[in-house]
Amino acid sequence: MTGRRTGQVLLMLAGLLAWAVQFTVIYGATSTLCSRQWADTTFLGIGLVQAVVLVTTLAALTATALALTWSLRTYRRLPEQAPPADLFMSQAGALTGGLSLIAIVWQGLPAFILPACA
Amino acid sequence: MGCSGVQSALDPAGGDALRIYWLTVIMTVGGTFIFLLVTGLLLYAIFAPPERRSWLGSRRTIVYGGLAFPIVVLSALLPYGLIVMRDTDVPVPGALPVEVVGEQYWWRVKYPAEQERAEFSTANELVVPVGRPVTVSVTAADVIHSFWIPNFGGKIDMIPGRINRLTFTAERPGVYRGVCAEFCGDQHARMAFDVVAMEPAAFETWRAGQARPAQDPAIPFLARGRELFRAGGCGSCHVVRGTEANGQFGPDLTHVGSRRTIGAGQFPNNVGTLAGWIANTQHIKPGVRMPSYGSFTGEDLRALAGYLESLK
Amino acid sequence: MNLPERPGSFELPEPDPPNPLPRPKGEFEALKRAWKAPRGISFITAVNNTYVGLWYVGTAFLFFILAGILALIMRAQLAAPESDLVRHDLYNQLFTMHGTVMMFLFAVPAVEAASVYLLPNMQAARDLPFPRLSAYAFWAYFVGGLVFFGTIFFGLSPNGGWFMYPPLTGSKYSPAENADWWLLGIGFIEISAIAGAIEIIVGVMKTRAVGMSLDKLPVYSWAMLVFAVMIVIGFPAIILGTLLLEMERAFDWPFFIAERGGDPLLWQHLFWFFGHPEVYIIFLPATGMVSMIVPAMAQTPLVGYRLIVLALIATGFLSFGLWVHHMFATGLPKMSLSFFSAASTAVAVPSGIQVFAWIATIASGRMKLTTPSLFIIGFLFIFTLGGLTGVMVAMAPFDWQAHDSYFVVAHLHYVLIGGMVFPLFAAFYYWVPVASKRALSERLGRWVFGLMFLGVNVTFLPMHVTGLIGMPRRVYTYPVGMGWDALNLVSTIGAFMIAAGVAVFLVDLARNFRFASEDNAGNVWNAGTLEWLPNGNYATRSIPSVISRDPLWDQPNLPKDVEDGRYYLPGTATGGREALVTSPFDARPQYILQIPGPGWQPVLAAVFTAAFFLLLTVKFVLTSVICGVLAIGCVIWWLWETDPGPVRPPADIGGGIVVPVYVTGPMNHSWWAMIVLMVVSGMVFTCLIFSYLFLWLVNPGAWPPQGVDLPERYWPLVSAALYIVSAALIALASRTLRGDDRRSPRSVPALIAVALPFVAGASAADLWAQWQSGLSPSTHAYGAAVYAVVSLQIFFVLTTLVMGLYTIARWLAGRLDSIRRTTFDNTMLFWYYTVGQGLVGLAVVHGFPRLTGGL
Repeated sequence: MTGRRTGQVLLMLAGLLAWAVQFTVIYGATSTLCSRQWADTTFLGIGLVQAVVLVTTLAALTATALALTWSLRTYRRLPEQAPPADLFMSQAGALTGGLSLIAIVWQGLPAFILPACA
Repeated sequence: MGCSGVQSALDPAGGDALRIYWLTVIMTVGGTFIFLLVTGLLLYAIFAPPERRSWLGSRRTIVYGGLAFPIVVLSALLPYGLIVMRDTDVPVPGALPVEVVGEQYWWRVKYPAEQERAEFSTANELVVPVGRPVTVSVTAADVIHSFWIPNFGGKIDMIPGRINRLTFTAERPGVYRGVCAEFCGDQHARMAFDVVAMEPAAFETWRAGQARPAQDPAIPFLARGRELFRAGGCGSCHVVRGTEANGQFGPDLTHVGSRRTIGAGQFPNNVGTLAGWIANTQHIKPGVRMPSYGSFTGEDLRALAGYLESLK
Repeated sequence: MNLPERPGSFELPEPDPPNPLPRPKGEFEALKRAWKAPRGISFITAVNNTYVGLWYVGTAFLFFILAGILALIMRAQLAAPESDLVRHDLYNQLFTMHGTVMMFLFAVPAVEAASVYLLPNMQAARDLPFPRLSAYAFWAYFVGGLVFFGTIFFGLSPNGGWFMYPPLTGSKYSPAENADWWLLGIGFIEISAIAGAIEIIVGVMKTRAVGMSLDKLPVYSWAMLVFAVMIVIGFPAIILGTLLLEMERAFDWPFFIAERGGDPLLWQHLFWFFGHPEVYIIFLPATGMVSMIVPAMAQTPLVGYRLIVLALIATGFLSFGLWVHHMFATGLPKMSLSFFSAASTAVAVPSGIQVFAWIATIASGRMKLTTPSLFIIGFLFIFTLGGLTGVMVAMAPFDWQAHDSYFVVAHLHYVLIGGMVFPLFAAFYYWVPVASKRALSERLGRWVFGLMFLGVNVTFLPMHVTGLIGMPRRVYTYPVGMGWDALNLVSTIGAFMIAAGVAVFLVDLARNFRFASEDNAGNVWNAGTLEWLPNGNYATRSIPSVISRDPLWDQPNLPKDVEDGRYYLPGTATGGREALVTSPFDARPQYILQIPGPGWQPVLAAVFTAAFFLLLTVKFVLTSVICGVLAIGCVIWWLWETDPGPVRPPADIGGGIVVPVYVTGPMNHSWWAMIVLMVVSGMVFTCLIFSYLFLWLVNPGAWPPQGVDLPERYWPLVSAALYIVSAALIALASRTLRGDDRRSPRSVPALIAVALPFVAGASAADLWAQWQSGLSPSTHAYGAAVYAVVSLQIFFVLTTLVMGLYTIARWLAGRLDSIRRTTFDNTMLFWYYTVGQGLVGLAVVHGFPRLTGGL
């Protein structure tokens, strides 16, 4: 698989990959912080766990939004006669991005409703 | 019997159970509605005349029905679920502390000392006052068990090496039933316990009574039972406070006669069932840790059971 | 989201077939000769995907019936309270085996088996790229599965639940061998599943019809691709879990024993990280089948192809974020639980997309109410209900009540029977005409559907209530007067209705199924995809070029032209079995893959592998080791014939397209397989590192525990240096093995021979470092975790040694040169992986405790 193809696949899956990273980071951080009583620290007035979730969620949303825009742009710029697989992957990338935005928002939601470690 | 019962999530007797009950009702009604909608559309797509159903046959259907609709519904349900979660099983200062240890296949229950009230242990029975939050700290002595009183709320696993807590409030006096919800071996099916919710005054009376040592036998027949209990070696596994029996392996029998059931919620507690239990444990509940004591004569067995039954 | 269609890209004119008529004399005969199935007793050495696929499906279905019978016995016991029909010890084995057999011996093998049969046909490939690997996977499963099931007749079946939670399944509370049967038997069937997954990934990506670019890939192929990737990611967790639990049972390494720093919850994480994706692993292939059947039944192209593909991929991802929803009651912090609530909610959306896509497709066509259609309708009905209760249990507070009650029994059977069994029956009725001379009976099929549909609802609908009014799962009996009696009786009646439906199906099979390799019933449904092309043992006579997703509808002459040999590769270029390898994105022809034919090697290798695991279970250690060595010997014998090299110059496959018959490097199919194997290995290792970190989390201030000293700092540096030198030597050997002149310099075996002691020395040095520091694997979970990392590494180093020696042997036999170097490439890739894993392992084991400094 060439570098261009690898890039296409990554772009197509970018939203879901961002969700996966966000999920791993927030779950891992919450478990670690709570297991060692480090979660009581506050950061700019909000708890450390909440801060981690907020920052991770915003980063994941930004990454996904960028990938989505890029996919759409690629799609618009592809010529009519471009290989159908390329058209398909850029379209799929846009759809994936859209769905991932929802998943990422939902994933970050609990931090603003529930206590950190109880 | 329907949906009300001594072990039913649909007959809530406490705030948490009620909150979850409403979550259940709302999701069931909403789910039924969605189910009818989807199956209705499916049947319409199959049976309606082609010109009537053609509007359904486009990608718009997927975008609205399969994407937008679930996203809207779930965006409402998820925060609601999270809020119910936040408000359920909340630790409260001043809650009555109780410690329960799950063992194959029974429940060790301990009420720790509280101000001037002394601590004591019992088994297979949880008595709680109405209106006061109760925090049950649970763990397991051997394998994983799970502590579940459906009428009061959700379940919490009892895991060796971990202490989990569950807080609930009983709001309706009565007798309920709890059960082990995690498969724990041979007799998982026969591991239940009684839950009695009483008015606070009655609870205090019960608590004071349980903290006292066992009463002495009132008649010679029962004294003979106590002697058989001693000679049979029952005390190497069981405690009867106030006597020399101080085994820690099995349930505390100091006030066994006051409990509603025996065998971990299996049989009503009376002389007959107690005698049957002692003689036939391995037949009634095969795999239980207590061996069958089949060598007692009928008369001895009645005396022994009578003694236990007298331990109110 | 609503992107405009691009007309034009699909409205290409039907291309002219590349090959002229008439075809040369003898071309077809040579093709038929190459693909002839063996006769007599050697019949079992057949490796054709159509033969192996059918045996595989048949065996999986046999296990469905056997596990179903276990369920009937349980339902009979539960028909009345306090019943004495079945004793508790048998009942506990029954429910453990019902779950285990249904999940591991029926569901996963069944969908894998169906794809062994269907995938190559659907993509017009001659066979899967590694036919002997499929045969190996099948025979290992067949022998291992039957012996495993047989334990029920001797009271030796596992009895700790299909989820096998320690400490109940540890040696203290389950000293007998029942639990070992699960750990070794299932651990080994998982290996068979992974072999199948590697086959499927490479098959979907590399062996397709010409022009079947990603946007024209059948939805079923997409589903199988996602399925296989999920197996590759998810199964290593359970493989590692079974390894750890077996090591705890056999050697007393306390991974899950709380008194010695272990934690029972570690098992639950590992089990459910596999166990939840498992549900979707079963479900996605079934939805792939539905997406193939619905368009054929409605006689219209699938609506929302891209959205469905998106849904499949998204499900594949999101399903890995759900595992803790099986652990909602374990007392983890609420916020941790809620992350899994959120992901469990999100995964409902892709399922919604698929359901509405099928409804839209049905609406845009004209659905014929055939038996496959009925099963599809039943599937939508049952699965939708199960999906909705799935959203309910995703809400943690509700789950605290429903968890481990009969509500969950109802939910999971709605999802699995609705989501997998009904589509599978639809698939049976739909695809039997491909494999049989006669289609199945529509009249009997309606009875099968009616009985099963009613039966499922009668059995499981009441269980929702049974659970909410307090009945827990996995109980061999229940008391009188709880209000559960009538509901249970109804469920039992329903279970026997399902059984009656399955019995009618067996009658239908017996009356109408007649195996066909050349003269099948044909395209009875007027379907549009390639598995309905005329075919024989050699699959299709020539490999078609397609311009759409429904080639048979859009290229009306295709069947005839393909059968006449007017498309690509109408004969055999090398005289043996071949497949056409195409590029993974655009499906352009790349090379001709010479694939092996029938042979005893995979059968014997599978039998000995099974014997190794099964004999180990009953502690016949010596016999078991002999069988293990024989299994490795058979695999080497099998491999020896592979990697044939360029046996002839590049061949013309038609239309002026000339492709080589042998390639190496990243285009090669076995390079891909090796990459996938490295991902599997990497996931096993990742799960082990996760376990290490998890045990650190539950042991505050005791990592390492009091009294344990880490080995001196120079030890890991020595090991790392040895690893790096060995990898450098292999890289050097690779450089000397370049050139178009088919050179095979003496330096290659010499460099490998020198690199072997380095890599072996590296892992030995690390083992010695830990041992001489006095660390014991059994006193504390810390030691167990460290030795687990070291042991896994030793296993990989040993494998590397075998591969290195094998590569040297290939050179000595004159089977290795600068062109014919696939064997070397595979060894090289694996070597690099082993070195990489070793370095990460050293960094974690020696670096992490120093970094955290006793936190």
